[in-house]
Amino acid sequence: MTLDLTATIIFGALFLFVTWLGFVAARWRKADLNLLHEWGLGGRRFGTMVTWFLLGGDLYTAYTFIAVPALVFGKGAMGFFAVPYTILIYPILYLVFPRLWAIAHERGHVTAADYVRDRFGSRILALAFALTGIIATMPYIALQLVGMEVVIGALGFPAGGFAGHIPLIIAFIILAAFTYTSGLRAPALIAIVKDVLIFVTVFAAVVIIPAKLGGYGAIFASVPPEKLTLAPPSGDSLGSYSAYATLALGSALALFLYPHAMTGILSSSSGNVIRRNAALLAAYSFILGLIALLGYMAIAAGVDRDPAYAAGFAQYGPNFAVPALFLASFPSWFVGVAFAAIAIGALVPAAIMSIACANLFTRNLYKEFIRPDCSEADEARMAKIVSLVVKIGAVVFILAIPQAYAIQLQLLGGIWIIQLLPPILLGLYTRSFNALALLIGWAAGTAIGTYMAATQGFASSVYPLEIFGVTLPGYAALYSVVINFLLAAALSPPLDFMARRSAASTAS
Amino acid sequence: MSRAKKKRGWLSYWPRLLFLIPFVAMLWVPSYNRIEPELGGIPFFYWYQLGWILLGAAVVLLVHVIDTRITQVTESSRKGLEATDIPGDIL
Repeated sequence: MTLDLTATIIFGALFLFVTWLGFVAARWRKADLNLLHEWGLGGRRFGTMVTWFLLGGDLYTAYTFIAVPALVFGKGAMGFFAVPYTILIYPILYLVFPRLWAIAHERGHVTAADYVRDRFGSRILALAFALTGIIATMPYIALQLVGMEVVIGALGFPAGGFAGHIPLIIAFIILAAFTYTSGLRAPALIAIVKDVLIFVTVFAAVVIIPAKLGGYGAIFASVPPEKLTLAPPSGDSLGSYSAYATLALGSALALFLYPHAMTGILSSSSGNVIRRNAALLAAYSFILGLIALLGYMAIAAGVDRDPAYAAGFAQYGPNFAVPALFLASFPSWFVGVAFAAIAIGALVPAAIMSIACANLFTRNLYKEFIRPDCSEADEARMAKIVSLVVKIGAVVFILAIPQAYAIQLQLLGGIWIIQLLPPILLGLYTRSFNALALLIGWAAGTAIGTYMAATQGFASSVYPLEIFGVTLPGYAALYSVVINFLLAAALSPPLDFMARRSAASTAS
Repeated sequence: MSRAKKKRGWLSYWPRLLFLIPFVAMLWVPSYNRIEPELGGIPFFYWYQLGWILLGAAVVLLVHVIDTRITQVTESSRKGLEATDIPGDIL
């Protein structure tokens, strides 16, 4: 591939624009950025519109735009589970998170770990939360880099060797710098640009590409029929039906437990902002559904058989399907716009994720266990430094470790993060659960979920569960969190009883 | 805000039962795993689920509207309930 000059210039110009925006953001709604809730939560002042852009930019990431169509391109109907998943996240958002916001606002929580520490009075449970959050988010940041690397490669930059990584490293230095100076204000402001670019790109794609390929009928007709629907269950296995449903439900339950989603929610200005967004964010879901269809357009356009893109597919696999489709269908200048949309779509969530990890580390590890007496300014300074460390970690991760590992770790990340559900959900309504029981449930869920993924060689998170002779292939995260829930509920009364007895005996 | 919430009885949360509809529709996979009827060349499996994105949003919106009515949160009292300390509830 040779460097596409027009596309690269447009891409570079848009990138420079958001860089400028990232630094200017420090002066937006001016406040003292040496306070953690100002730097790391934007002062909890974001209204419906900004929260809409921020959560949209946060949840619908570059990796989503690359990976969802890649999955549909490779596996057909199964990849479409992303659609029921995005439908189910909003009732959950509506039911659970306004209440969480209210509690967090009243008690000054910055992270989910702050919240469980306060609700259940356990530093160890909070530590488990902080570690789970950080470990599950790291590979997610790395995957944003994968998304960015694919489009930079598709522009025609040399892919191999250290030189191939230079554009990526530059992009991340820029990202690290403006996150350091502006905190959450930077991704919130950049998200607006990113979303405008994404909307323009997707609408152009779903109008122009089908017109070139002879309409939607022709596109679906060119997809092998066995890919168009899920394979119906056979024998005593529910097959792809239970896999599809549990992947959708499990992913929906896990989404808002991620630290970066929590940061987006806690930075909003009221519970009603969250409720309104539960309805309004569906606009992004619709875009995601259309993006998923790009996978089939790539099949219909035959980009994988085109020798011009053979090198790209060899380097990036199915993840190259969307960039190749854009290169084949759009004029150069618009390819620049589309690729900038994806790359900026990586910057926004990567910034929020690193801020969320920094908040967790500072509040729940540094202040809790290392320097309890640190001042508010120390707290904010520490968070800024950690946000840099997290990003360097993600870059090293991508440079040193094959891409496949990042994807596998991301798979495990979903299984680990969902284990935070029982304490968060129960904490909203009751404080009577025993912290040790919740901790045991968390540990067991994490271990069992990891084991289930291990039996699949970490290549898939779908585990063939057998109950009464029927096989139910399903998302390991969902199965393991059920065990987590049951253990926490079953162990809570006896552990509480023992705690009360030992307290009584020491008192007498 | 929490004190105002506590006065709500369990029954007043009934609109939230409407959320069962999208869950049942989406998790009942066999109900939509087919090609026919197509819509403008798009198989049922795809247009049905895309359509549910809009329906799902409509359900959330409906619940929000009924919820707001039930709690009878008027513009003026909401300001008291949820001090957003500006700049604006929308931006």
